[in-house]
Amino acid sequence: MKIFENINYDFLGKRKIFYAVSISLFLLGVINVIFRGLEFGIDFKGGTEIVLQFDKPVEIGKIRTDVENIGLGNVEVKTFGSETGVLVRTELQEIPANIYPVIRKNIDETIENSFPGLQKQVIDTTANSVTYQLTSADTTNRLVDILNNAGFQAGKVSVEPDNKELIVSVGIADWIKENLREKVSDNPFTLLKEEKVGPKVGKELKEDAVIAIIFSLIVILIYLGFRFKFIFAFGAVVALFHDTLITLGLYSLLYGVIPGLNLEIDLTIVAAFLTLIGYSINDTVIVFDRVRENMKIHKTTPLIDVINQSISKTMSRTILTGGTTLLTILVLMIFGGEVLRAFAFTLFFGIIIGTYSSIFVASALVLEYANRSKKKVQF
Amino acid sequence: MKEFRFKIIIILGAIALCVYLLYPTYTDYQNSKKISQVLDKRREEIKTADPEITTDALNRRIRAVDDSIKAADPSIQNARQKRIKLGLDLQGGMRVVLEVNTGKLLQKLAKDPDQTFNDAISSAQKEAALSDESVVDILARKFEEKGIRLSRYFGSVRDDDNKIISDLKTDAEDAVSRAMEIIRNRVDQYGVAEPSIQRQGSRRIIIELPGVAHEEEAKQLLQGTALLEFRLVKDPEFTISVMQSIDKVLAGKVTEDSSNTDSSIASSEVNKDTSAAQDTTKQLSEEEFKKQHPFFSIALINPQSKQADAYVKEDDRNRLITLLNRPDVQKVIPNNVEFVFSAKPVAHQDGKGIYLMYLVNKTPELTGGVITDASANIDPTTSSPIVNMTMNAEGATQWARITGANVGKRIAIMLDGVVFSAPNVKGKIPGGRSQIEGEENMEEAKLLEIVLKAGALPAPVDIIEERTVGPSLGQDSVNSGLNSVIIGYILVGFFMIIYYQKAGGIAAATLVFTILFILGVLAGFSATLTLPGIAGIILTIGMAVDANVLIYERIREELATGKTMKASVDSGFAKAFSAIFDSNITTFFTGIILYQFGTGPIQGFALTLMIGIVSSLFSALVIARLIFDYMVSKGAKLSIG
Repeated sequence: MKIFENINYDFLGKRKIFYAVSISLFLLGVINVIFRGLEFGIDFKGGTEIVLQFDKPVEIGKIRTDVENIGLGNVEVKTFGSETGVLVRTELQEIPANIYPVIRKNIDETIENSFPGLQKQVIDTTANSVTYQLTSADTTNRLVDILNNAGFQAGKVSVEPDNKELIVSVGIADWIKENLREKVSDNPFTLLKEEKVGPKVGKELKEDAVIAIIFSLIVILIYLGFRFKFIFAFGAVVALFHDTLITLGLYSLLYGVIPGLNLEIDLTIVAAFLTLIGYSINDTVIVFDRVRENMKIHKTTPLIDVINQSISKTMSRTILTGGTTLLTILVLMIFGGEVLRAFAFTLFFGIIIGTYSSIFVASALVLEYANRSKKKVQF
Repeated sequence: MKEFRFKIIIILGAIALCVYLLYPTYTDYQNSKKISQVLDKRREEIKTADPEITTDALNRRIRAVDDSIKAADPSIQNARQKRIKLGLDLQGGMRVVLEVNTGKLLQKLAKDPDQTFNDAISSAQKEAALSDESVVDILARKFEEKGIRLSRYFGSVRDDDNKIISDLKTDAEDAVSRAMEIIRNRVDQYGVAEPSIQRQGSRRIIIELPGVAHEEEAKQLLQGTALLEFRLVKDPEFTISVMQSIDKVLAGKVTEDSSNTDSSIASSEVNKDTSAAQDTTKQLSEEEFKKQHPFFSIALINPQSKQADAYVKEDDRNRLITLLNRPDVQKVIPNNVEFVFSAKPVAHQDGKGIYLMYLVNKTPELTGGVITDASANIDPTTSSPIVNMTMNAEGATQWARITGANVGKRIAIMLDGVVFSAPNVKGKIPGGRSQIEGEENMEEAKLLEIVLKAGALPAPVDIIEERTVGPSLGQDSVNSGLNSVIIGYILVGFFMIIYYQKAGGIAAATLVFTILFILGVLAGFSATLTLPGIAGIILTIGMAVDANVLIYERIREELATGKTMKASVDSGFAKAFSAIFDSNITTFFTGIILYQFGTGPIQGFALTLMIGIVSSLFSALVIARLIFDYMVSKGAKLSIG
């Protein structure tokens, strides 16, 4: 079986069309980023996020109202994967001061209901926890169980057998879980994931991500400059910028458009972009490698023809290599589970755009430069 | 055949090595399936026998059963250590990043902090929360702006600001080591399997606790304040007599209470064949001793020693604690004493630690708040390590009384309920300056220094990042990841066979080796497989055939010019090489950068991506090449579509 055998198409003659396509895709993304902004995940924004798996399908609208009514202000509620998964996220790090007494009251009531008249003493309170001292070690052990079953996060203060102190966490996540357990009592859930990222960590991760992406672009520029003439390396890296920026634009454009697909920028997405940078250069290298070879063989042929011929000759392998990779990414997108879906999605679009740019953009830029400089481009 | 021999040996060697490296992963998978079945059965049994049992007590008993199964067969542990480790995102668990709260530490360090100081500290802390500047620097700047010298609050009057700043910074760094030691101590006691505690930068600690389901308990381990105590060790006669009465209670009980033998039943299920192979006569007498002295068979006493500290194997520890907590046993232990363990193993046997168990007073003689300083040194006269400890005036008076009354006895230095050292009191120590001897090396002395300081100076830490993955999400991820690997492989393999026929078949076959190599290398380097790591393997499947495609397209071109098969194969491989190399090395570069940038899961992805690139090149350029050359040399028909 063979595809694209003996094609001979004037790719570069039509380069204006491809410029127009690229520029409009780019502008679409830029305009979207300007008006809607980039949607960052918890890794970069900081905050608290929990993912719950309910036993039965839930109505996301109802959960949303339930969560909004617990006084945490702006809370995001989304489905996670199937219709039994729910993701709840807030930018808050700790319980607001006005909610704190409510939670305390809830804990006290739960203790009172199980052990009426039990003597207890609060020995410590922090923004995230309350510590009680009780009368006996046995009651303490039983209360830990009772509170945990009631949806609180409780634990003994020490593992000593005669420990009488009990700590109950009053974090954001606990408060959300506790409320949902009460309000959706006919549909129990388990915790799939819980994340809390401080604002400083988020800021650092963002800086690291930007540095990593810029650094990898520079490394590739240096390597290609070493292997090819500078102008080819430059064309390839501009094509890479093109791929990264258009994919980023599309990514933000499609945020919230596709149901069940959570397109936020988090650490795995940065990993996807870095992989994209490393991989999407491959096709460009294949084309340039052939251009170099053909320039040595056909010394007198004009550059535009050499490039056209090289693109035509390598067309089948460009499509095939990109195609097999897309195939596995598609598998990942469909069967890989919720956590990897956005990652696979990024790579899917990124590789399509990368393949397009290595055929239509990277070489065109080299030709453009050669035409302007009026010099013979050499390898 | 001869010309291929060398290559064949290399390839077979690589495959054999990978299979060898992956074998423990397979055995471990089988073992854990078996063990979890046994544990589930026991859990149900215990629950039906005692429906009132608390989760904590239940977990403790299950842990004891688990320990005894593992103790019975060392190969279980062995396989576990050599298996491919799963990341927290795949097996569930908790990752916490802690940062030492320098502000709180400074408040503790300051002498007579007043309102001005507290205001300055709290505004410095707010500023530090969003900047890279350290709290110490910000505070120093604030005081400078107000014209207040730092020596008003820290150090001595003669010190200039720069010295105080550098001292405070050292204190802050010390606090990180202290916090790490406190946490490590607790995590060890808590019994988390394969915890990882690392220092990041100058102020942060990263803790990974795999398989921890109970978040709150784990968090408590990390944040609670440390308790340093000095407790009197009971004298040998008393200890032995308590131990003997426990032994008697247990021996009397063992025959009528079947629940006590549960662990040995469970262990014999897994370990039937090894125990059968052992010498039967020795086995009998050992069994006999176990029956008559259930306590002394797991808490060994050295008859030659003047002290009555019992030696307890790591695996027996949980069982012993469960035994000691039984109400009938508790009855024979006097109210004012308890058994405690050493913090670290004192010796090792078959790779397992042996701990010391002491009988100490329940009430501490003194708590660590009185310690003002501690430092590890080398004694110039004996050139052995010593630790000097200084106490404040109030502590010194009490210390003199305590040591005076207990000359010749031992005092256990305990942090969070475990013993770090139990030195002998040589004489009354007036003035609050004590010297602790008997540490085996400088490392131990340093540790004791940290422990002693932990009692005096807390190391307040804040959780700045926390990620918990529930076990069910982890299992789902493993399943969907593995399914994707298989489906991805089948699709790509089919495509290659359809498009390139026999040559495509070769590519599909070598792809299996690529996957095998990735897993083998992961196991060999005891690297961690994460969910993005699995994504890396899937991606590698798609990218690995790129090399094959480039080579085959070249061979097709060469064939089209009318060359022979052999010549085409040769020049196809040769001409495709530069493009293959260039394109793979750029991906490899980004892999390295990604590894540097990322944490846990992302690093797992970068790792499989990089290993995948190297192994796919080996498969395409060496293995596939060999198969091609062999088929061509044999004159076999080779179709390339």
